[in-house]
Amino acid sequence: MRVEERPQHLPAALADDLDLIAEMTADFARSLDIEETLRLGLAHISTRMEAEAASIFLMEPGTGDLVCRACFGPTDVTGLRLVKGQGIVWRAVNRNATELVRDATDDPDFAHQIDNNTGFITRSILCAPMAVRDERLGAIELFNKKGGGSFDADDRRVLQALAASAALALINARQAADMAEQKALKHELSLAADIQRAMLPPQRPPEFPIHGINLPARGVSGDFFDVVELGDGKIAFAIADVSGKGMNAALLMAKTASLFRCLAKRLDGPGAVLAAIDSELAETSSAGMFVTMIAGILDPASGKVQLANAGHEPPLLCCGASQSRIDEGMPPLGIVPELFAQGCPESVIDLNGGALYLFTDGLTEAGGTGSMLGADGVARMLAPHRIRPAPDRLRALVAQVDEAGLALKDDLTMLVVEDVRNQPIMNRQYQARPASLSQIRHDVGQALSALGISGPVIPDIVLAVDEASQNVIRHAYGGGEGELIVQVRGDHDHVDLRLIDFAPTIDPACVCPRDLDDIRPGGLGTHFIREVMDEVEFLAPPPETGNLLRMAKRIGGHENRKP
Amino acid sequence: MKIESRELDGAVVVALVGEVDLQHSPTVRKHLMDLMFERRPVVVDMGLVDYIDSSGIASLVEAYQAARKNGTRFILAAVSQPAMRVLQLARLDKVFALADTVEAGLTA
Repeated sequence: MRVEERPQHLPAALADDLDLIAEMTADFARSLDIEETLRLGLAHISTRMEAEAASIFLMEPGTGDLVCRACFGPTDVTGLRLVKGQGIVWRAVNRNATELVRDATDDPDFAHQIDNNTGFITRSILCAPMAVRDERLGAIELFNKKGGGSFDADDRRVLQALAASAALALINARQAADMAEQKALKHELSLAADIQRAMLPPQRPPEFPIHGINLPARGVSGDFFDVVELGDGKIAFAIADVSGKGMNAALLMAKTASLFRCLAKRLDGPGAVLAAIDSELAETSSAGMFVTMIAGILDPASGKVQLANAGHEPPLLCCGASQSRIDEGMPPLGIVPELFAQGCPESVIDLNGGALYLFTDGLTEAGGTGSMLGADGVARMLAPHRIRPAPDRLRALVAQVDEAGLALKDDLTMLVVEDVRNQPIMNRQYQARPASLSQIRHDVGQALSALGISGPVIPDIVLAVDEASQNVIRHAYGGGEGELIVQVRGDHDHVDLRLIDFAPTIDPACVCPRDLDDIRPGGLGTHFIREVMDEVEFLAPPPETGNLLRMAKRIGGHENRKP
Repeated sequence: MKIESRELDGAVVVALVGEVDLQHSPTVRKHLMDLMFERRPVVVDMGLVDYIDSSGIASLVEAYQAARKNGTRFILAAVSQPAMRVLQLARLDKVFALADTVEAGLTA
């Protein structure tokens, strides 16, 4: 701030006062450490206002006491605490008015005790409160005008102006500090969220039997899921929801997740794992916090799941068109250790070609306007996406929850455990656009290899799938947005490929290969498909889909089989 | 994929490198048709084509037809095995003028 050149017609004393106010205001305005500035400023103010001594009192958050934070003069009372209503400082603060006491000995509020303790003799006092709007921050107090006189009305006006500007500076500094603290907290939260995401299991290929999705409603989540491959081909999994939200829930979640990961491989069965986690949590967790959790083990070879449920939302078993809830279970973990003293009962569920869905209440309670989605609602929302590969199915369901305006009030976590015994060796969903074709070719090539096929038939089949995908992109969707599912089934002798889209159903009669004698660009794709594949047919599309193209080929000759 | 063009012996040698699929064939088509518009003789070096689909073949067919109309040279040279397989499937291996090497294509 630039101090204006001193106007010539002002009396010298007033001009000095204005200079002091301008200087101090400028100091306050640019200060980073406002209390330090107040301390330095106090000496400056005392000198210029010819006070023998001065103190600054600030209101202590919490107690509401006025505490001396800085002193100038022969005695130092820094740290002196004035409880509410005590002395002239409190009078100034309570009245929110500058107090001018010409003779302290006459004033009933004057605290003689302090003089007695320090040996200082107080004659006159000038005390200006620091306040912004209704917020009382403290006061500046000056003692004894030098030369024996008293402070006067002019001094009062100057100190009042200085106190007002100091108060504004204090408020600004506190708000800046609050903001910095909030920013730091936000940064820490985002770090915690990163760590949590890193604790989630890695994304597996879509054909893997177990997939999960986790969407935190806020930065950090109280939900988690985990999938751990055990040595014997079986797969352990868990889903859990920690009571409460925010940081506490996130920390308890981290602990539960670590315990599961550590115990899943060591203990025999999900019941034992839950019982062990319960005893660990009951010993150490903070009061009133608990965890609802399901642990399970899938045997992909038999399609059977061993399941133990501790107070968690009952999972949903979907087999074909029928759904059932798996209701058995125990109370949540971490409440009373005796509950799990006898272990945790397990149930065995036969997936029977279907899938088991586990979810947290973030899904079932995402009913908007107070209504609950409920397990039936989950089944209803799942139905249109049944054909999709598991990871895409979970994403579609979550997108649907969002789209319905059922904004996430809670963390949303979902896990699907599928019987993959009769599933395609490849089952993947792609965006129907030219940029996906390279990935489709790569994935189909790998799937054919995995079936034990090799040799020149692979590029032929890959070409047929590419051309059929192009037809979906160019003709079925007409260049618009959409998805394409590619499925590969079969063995080393025979391969069955299916392309499923969600475009309007097309008339197969319109799809015919072009006459090869007519040399012109375009129209070759369908010819390639028929040339390469033995069978090409449009089948009745599954519900909620547009078209299903099936292509099949018998693999002849040793050159096309792996030795 | 990449398209590399160079002048050689009064012709333009266009090397197609990588996968000529629906995503990239529009670029190939434009490149070739611009040369056809300038009535340049073209040798397409297909030695490093890993993959070509019907849309890629269609780009070549369109350029070939334009060259015929112009009376300019349009030769597919050093055609890779995967590309040759697709040309055969389209029964275009007997339609295009083919050369075993780029050099042979330039002197054809």
